[in-house]
Amino acid sequence: MTNRSGGGHGKIVIAMRLAVFIWLFAVSLFATPGWASFDTAQAFLQKYCRACHTGNAAVGGFRLDRVAAPESLTAEAAKWASLTRRVRNLEMPPKGAPAPPLDESEAFAGWVDQALRQAACANGIQPGPARARRLNRDEYSATIRDLLDIHLDMAQSLPVDGGGGEGFDNAAETLFLSPLHSEKYMDAARFALDFAAKEFKSRNKILVATPGPGMPEAEAARRVIAAFLTRAFRSPVDNSTVTTYLALYSKARSAGRNFEEGVFFALRAVLVSPRFLFLLTPPNTTAAMQPVDAYSLASRLSYFLWGSMPDEFLFDAAASGKLSDPAVLKVITRRMLRNDRSLGFAQRFVEQWLATRELTSSKRPDAKLFPEFDRDEELRSDIRMQPVLFFREMLVRNLPVLSLIDSTHTIGTRNLAKLYEVQLPINRAAANQPQWVELPPGSNRGGLMGMPAVMAVSSYPYRTSPVLRGAWILESMLGTPPPPPPPNVPALEEPAAGAAPKTMKERLAQHRSNAVCASCHSRIDGLGFALENYDVLGRWRSEAGGKAIDNSGELSGVTFQGPAGLRQVLLERKDLFVHNLTTKMLGYALGRGLTLSDSCTVDSIVEQVKNDGYRAQTLVEAIVLSVPFRYQAAQPLKSAVAAASKGSH
Amino acid sequence: MPSNKLSRHALSRRAVLRGAGVTLGLPWLEAMGAPSAANPVRFAALYMPNGVNVPMWTPKGTGRDYQLSPTLAPLADLKNSVTVLSGLWNEGSKGGDGHYVKEAAILTCATIKKTQGADLANGISADQVAAQRVASQTPLASLELGVTPVAIGVDAVVGYTRVYGSHIAWANATTPLAREINPRSVYERLFRAASGLNADSARMDALLLDRVLGDARALRGTVGAADRIRIDEYLSVMRSLEERVARANAPAARTWKARAAMDPKAAPIERPRDHQEHVRLMMDMIALAFQTDTTRVATFMFGNAVSNVSFRFLEGVSAGHHDVSHHQKDADKLRQYQIINQWHVEQYAYLLRRLAEMKEGESTVLDNSMVLFASALSDGNSHNPHNLPLILGGRGGGRIDAGQHLTYAEDSPMSNLYVSILDAFGAPVERFGDSTGHLPGLLRPSGSESSPAAVRLNPATRGVESARAAE
Repeated sequence: MTNRSGGGHGKIVIAMRLAVFIWLFAVSLFATPGWASFDTAQAFLQKYCRACHTGNAAVGGFRLDRVAAPESLTAEAAKWASLTRRVRNLEMPPKGAPAPPLDESEAFAGWVDQALRQAACANGIQPGPARARRLNRDEYSATIRDLLDIHLDMAQSLPVDGGGGEGFDNAAETLFLSPLHSEKYMDAARFALDFAAKEFKSRNKILVATPGPGMPEAEAARRVIAAFLTRAFRSPVDNSTVTTYLALYSKARSAGRNFEEGVFFALRAVLVSPRFLFLLTPPNTTAAMQPVDAYSLASRLSYFLWGSMPDEFLFDAAASGKLSDPAVLKVITRRMLRNDRSLGFAQRFVEQWLATRELTSSKRPDAKLFPEFDRDEELRSDIRMQPVLFFREMLVRNLPVLSLIDSTHTIGTRNLAKLYEVQLPINRAAANQPQWVELPPGSNRGGLMGMPAVMAVSSYPYRTSPVLRGAWILESMLGTPPPPPPPNVPALEEPAAGAAPKTMKERLAQHRSNAVCASCHSRIDGLGFALENYDVLGRWRSEAGGKAIDNSGELSGVTFQGPAGLRQVLLERKDLFVHNLTTKMLGYALGRGLTLSDSCTVDSIVEQVKNDGYRAQTLVEAIVLSVPFRYQAAQPLKSAVAAASKGSH
Repeated sequence: MPSNKLSRHALSRRAVLRGAGVTLGLPWLEAMGAPSAANPVRFAALYMPNGVNVPMWTPKGTGRDYQLSPTLAPLADLKNSVTVLSGLWNEGSKGGDGHYVKEAAILTCATIKKTQGADLANGISADQVAAQRVASQTPLASLELGVTPVAIGVDAVVGYTRVYGSHIAWANATTPLAREINPRSVYERLFRAASGLNADSARMDALLLDRVLGDARALRGTVGAADRIRIDEYLSVMRSLEERVARANAPAARTWKARAAMDPKAAPIERPRDHQEHVRLMMDMIALAFQTDTTRVATFMFGNAVSNVSFRFLEGVSAGHHDVSHHQKDADKLRQYQIINQWHVEQYAYLLRRLAEMKEGESTVLDNSMVLFASALSDGNSHNPHNLPLILGGRGGGRIDAGQHLTYAEDSPMSNLYVSILDAFGAPVERFGDSTGHLPGLLRPSGSESSPAAVRLNPATRGVESARAAE
């Protein structure tokens, strides 16, 4: 598109400028612009916004004097954020008004972002609100399993939950309820309890009292229901709660049910109650932030690290009041990580963070082209579980989180060794189980990027794509996703299967011929090409389509060679990587999207991790000990009470 | 020296990966009543992601003497029962991004709020306006179906949660409706709903629901505004169960009778072998639900927004759906794009034929239905939101003047289509989204002497105007 002109072209250019611009902002972490102070920002606003946003007739009711003082970065943070967003999106200044050059508005937006963060942190770290959130399907299933002590996967009978916040399906904001859920909860409660009633072990666990000499029926029922309520609601319950559920038992008895049927009927209601289905924190009605109560903290811990309810030990720790002691919390956190149940955390976190969950759905390698993947279930599960188990080993062994970029060890199995075409020191006695193995010297399999799961989800189902892989690295590893290709502009042509292959330089030349494409693609493709030695399944290849693979990569004008060079490039940006990993994990731990004020928490955690040799357990501990994890913001009840009395009928 | 073994004990891969599939029990069929005289009107919407190969989609000519296009060829035997619509769009979806803002609004005609989740906002969808109006007349208010699970995570590139791209049915501005993708579960759900509860179970369920609703009401007073939305969702879905139980408890209030019997042995398989079989089974479920009158409203998603499902199972297709939709005017990709589009129309035709085979007195279920086929983009390559590909199948109980290709001035509001559909459905509204009136030429004049009065939708639940102001 060298000589195109006219209105269409103009539109295209604006759209592309917008996309490039947003992205430049995102990658400003690569190199923070040295521009700006509060005064330069004011000068910028005066120059481009004053004409419309001054005085009583200010357009949109927004007057510049609202953001004229440095204090406004705190008091009017939302206003600053919104005006910056509009400048960044090129909505402001509006069409026709004199617009700042791109580099100027970029610097402005970048500065505001930094200034807002600093201002947000100036008052000390603040916790967000403690949002009520529904158990997601995995948590529901695990909780039923632990509560009833049955081996039953109820997840398949519930709808899949979408993701929100930092990209996880445990985000409070996107865990909505549909009529479908209510029916499924009713069915699942009945099914699970019927199942438990027939299992000796779980029956005994539930029926803590049975009627007999010295134990009247009503008293036995009360004890069973009270014990169950406490565990199901993850917190001690008051007498009136027990009484209301006991009333269900009595009604069932008078309707002709026997003792056990009556008790199990009351328990069924417990499993449909919002106090079971939702994680709730008693509201903080004071004027200042407060620690969450011990039982809520125990639940936060167990749903973070286990994806399930607290066990007896954790429950007792909450009861003893010791959870308020950071030293105790640290010990407990390590204990929880060592527990088998932390595998659930590793799997849910890693598979959503890296998008490898899609290996079974939209990113599944094509069955015809990759029959070995399609046919061999064991290989599939080895591939899928490798990053998960690697992550968990890193946590348990307290290795540096930088192991995710490069490592001397990996998770090996017979299948993976075969796929890698290398000898792995696998213990033959347990050869069909995944093992922690040392890689041969000079291996290109260290870290996440040598793993087939990662190579497959960053490919098309039928071929590799340097563009997708580059974008995957930017988004998943560095947390700086590229913008979408602008509308109406052909994406970069990639060679079709069977076409005469071109070298990387030839392909990049295509980008370079178009300045706008090049501005993004030089970052994206340069990373992706370094991984071209891995095919869709992550197998090593030195040629494709009869031509040798050119695995030279480039980022910010620096060239490098192959996966080893790429790992080096990422290690040079390790703080960006750790920042991204921390952001993701904090969002997962809190079960919500992060806000501006959480960015101070992230910065402080990154600092602690850095100062402790990037140890993985330090990251988890710092999250557990962080203010947003242990505290909740003040939440004056006034409006809630008013609305409740209005809404009840 | 660390050992080879994984910490604690080695984990069985199968224990980790495979959960035992749980199938809930199926109650036995109860006696069915005879169909009542008046045939109910049904509304279904089928959504196809990623747009169409436009030249191959657009029919030649207008009115009754039009020629089906190559992509619409599978509708040849149904030509008199379908209405092809050209020239409509949803203005509220023109900005934002290429997919989510368009696809999430296909039935709402709203402008979704750009968010990773914290302040999700769309509008109520047309199917839910219909469903909420007739909820008490059938066992299920509506059916939300698909063949792929909800897309995970947020799309960090464009800044939207993928919840938007995975849901077209919205109960209100903040609550999308979960979809069912397992055909067997759908069947069991229909079966159970149609069978109803026996009096004893209904009494017990009523007690249970009363208790948990009590818990929710007590909680409601103690939580903040953001959490109240969730508790209200809980109250709403549990109350609707309670109402259903109450109807079962009071036989006099139970006016509904199945219009056709369900065969308890006809439950479909749980894991269809391929994509096409999966889609067909879901079409069967919609047909069954409409035939039995278990519900009168259904939505179906062929895929999520940006779906890249591989269509290599089709002769001549070598790539994924979204991939091919960005054809870059490449002749081979356009050819593949058309094949994929046509396959979708074939599945749609399959559903229409199923409904046409189902007799209802002198008419068929198709005659008494409106089955919309829609994509939220025309040309997927440029994410073009103008001139959307839309087909309305069926006659809506005789109200739809089917058998035409109706063309409208460029950028006429699609919301007018929903105004007309809701009117024919028996749930007329004064306005829907940015509607300006009925869609001319679609409806025959109402012959009914007692049409329900049009209602005004609550703008608070629609969120259209406020969201659009940012445009």
